[in-house]
Amino acid sequence: MFLFKNPIYPFGHLPPNNIEYLPILLLIFVSVGLALIILGASYFLSVQKPDSEKTSVYECGFDPYEDSRNVFDIRFYIVAILFVVFDLEAMFLFPWAVSLPYAGSMGFWSMFDFLLELAVGFVYVWKVGALEWT
Amino acid sequence: MSFLSFFLNDFKFFLPEIFLATSILSLTLYCSLVATSRELGFPVMVKSLNKLCLLVLFFTFLLVGNEQSCFQVVYQNTFIFDGLTASSKQIILFFTFVCLLISERSILTHKINNFEYLLLILSAVLGLMLLISSYDLISLYLCIELQSLCLYALAASKKDSSLSTEAGLKYFILGSFSSGLLLFGISLIYGCTGSTSFGSIFLLLASADNSSVTVLIEVLSKALFFISLAFFFKVAAAPLHMWSPDVYEGSPMSSTVFFAVIPKLALFSVFLRFFTVMGPNFSNFLLSLLVFFSLFSAVVGSFGALKQKKLKRLLAYSSVSHVGYLLLAMASCSFEGNQALFLYLIIYMVASVTIWSCVFSVDTVGNRFRAKTLADFAGVASLNPLLALTGMLSFFSLAGVPPLAGFLAKLSIFHAAICSSIILASVLSILTSVVASFYYIRLVKNLYFEPSRVVSSLRYSHKGVESLPLSVSRECSVVLGVGFFSLVILFAYPTPLFLLSQKMALCLF
Repeated sequence: MFLFKNPIYPFGHLPPNNIEYLPILLLIFVSVGLALIILGASYFLSVQKPDSEKTSVYECGFDPYEDSRNVFDIRFYIVAILFVVFDLEAMFLFPWAVSLPYAGSMGFWSMFDFLLELAVGFVYVWKVGALEWT
Repeated sequence: MSFLSFFLNDFKFFLPEIFLATSILSLTLYCSLVATSRELGFPVMVKSLNKLCLLVLFFTFLLVGNEQSCFQVVYQNTFIFDGLTASSKQIILFFTFVCLLISERSILTHKINNFEYLLLILSAVLGLMLLISSYDLISLYLCIELQSLCLYALAASKKDSSLSTEAGLKYFILGSFSSGLLLFGISLIYGCTGSTSFGSIFLLLASADNSSVTVLIEVLSKALFFISLAFFFKVAAAPLHMWSPDVYEGSPMSSTVFFAVIPKLALFSVFLRFFTVMGPNFSNFLLSLLVFFSLFSAVVGSFGALKQKKLKRLLAYSSVSHVGYLLLAMASCSFEGNQALFLYLIIYMVASVTIWSCVFSVDTVGNRFRAKTLADFAGVASLNPLLALTGMLSFFSLAGVPPLAGFLAKLSIFHAAICSSIILASVLSILTSVVASFYYIRLVKNLYFEPSRVVSSLRYSHKGVESLPLSVSRECSVVLGVGFFSLVILFAYPTPLFLLSQKMALCLF
């Protein structure tokens, strides 16, 4: 085949004294260490009295080990999807707020356009009753 | 980029798209407020919304025609506006108008009472319009996603039918797989060139010296391979066509006509532009890729349809074989090839719109007639001779029988391919098109020479045959008439179409 018949180095070789990614390396070490410390502390320092309710898996009200062909409510999915949409909105808003000085007036008003369209979607979702849990 | 320069320079090019987007938003608000109001008694808005959508499409058509068709790259090199984009957008808007017109009665009789359905069609058209204009790999990807998300929902829009849901899910999973391939190719291109804009990539490749950047060229050819795989998937070229018969079969008929007619033109025009940008350095690689997929599609489309009993599956396989011929025109990499591509696409769209309005006319008359299998077309000629005649002519035009426009289109494609010395593939494609004409002729045999089951069952009842004419709705009859005459007249007088396709092809050079 003509695919991948020999190894490819499209970006050339790395320069020898490359410390551009050093902060990321440090971040990896720190986050792994911090996670180990927190997990270990909660494991060793806590008082442990397990019973069957405490040790069972918690998963949004479902029994985790049952037949996969069971009927269950589609509303879980609708709420999850709507959550993702509005969560992403917040994810856009934070970098937008931080980088406003560089984005200029165009960037400023683009976000308002985005929010307007999202508001139309919100009205639609509200009106067709996707938010009602009855 | 400042606000002022956007409104001074770029804004006026986007007017049709902005109008369409604003109309979609306001129609969403209007429908969600009215359709859920208790005072008005929860009205079913499909009929009035259909008229409003037709109006929106008409105004967008006028706005696109109002643009100056000079070459212009706007919005930080992400969108392009020239003669090709203007004409393709107008053609797409026109055919969407026709599709909505002929499928209105089918939407009503199949009880697709969600107003979202029509809004999704409008959003898909918005995605296609932006797709035609995109001049950057990121905007290309986003526009493809916009239109295909709408198409997935359209496929699954008959919520109480498990077939329709299955079609939507299948389309969604396979479509997102192909989008993944597209993104992988895009990221390889970005990694090699540091840019996603067509213009910058073209300049970089044109200035690159082939001997010094062999590694770059090698990676880029892989990127091109993945991106063209995604393209072949989206236009359903064999061997990546497997989704199309199932999706066509499962989705409601009003969605199928949209899938079958509209998206191909947008995809072909934008990827033709992309291949023209990448082309000069990769012509051998692209040629072998396109010819392989073209031949494969022509063979699979012709032989796969022979066994089909269901009408929609048959039309899906027939569209696979037509995509094969279109790819042959693309492979010829010449001005004539591009012109033949657009000519063939337009004539194909006219013929398939005519066929689909014929199908709608047979399908929606009461519950007695349905148009699911080929046998349902038996004896249409004895009930409505004009309908049968129009159906026969459009099937013959798809098959490429001489005194019709389809012959002209096939002729120009094979002429262009042979001029670019793709001789073996052209000969094989011509042979498969002979095979393909078999199943078109079998449909014509069903229309004319088979006894109608409805008529023979009525013979024993008290009512006569005369009480059950196969009446055609007003919209369908207009489309049938215009389609019939344009298929005949465009053979005798193809000049306007030649000029249009020439104008479109010229923009790529």
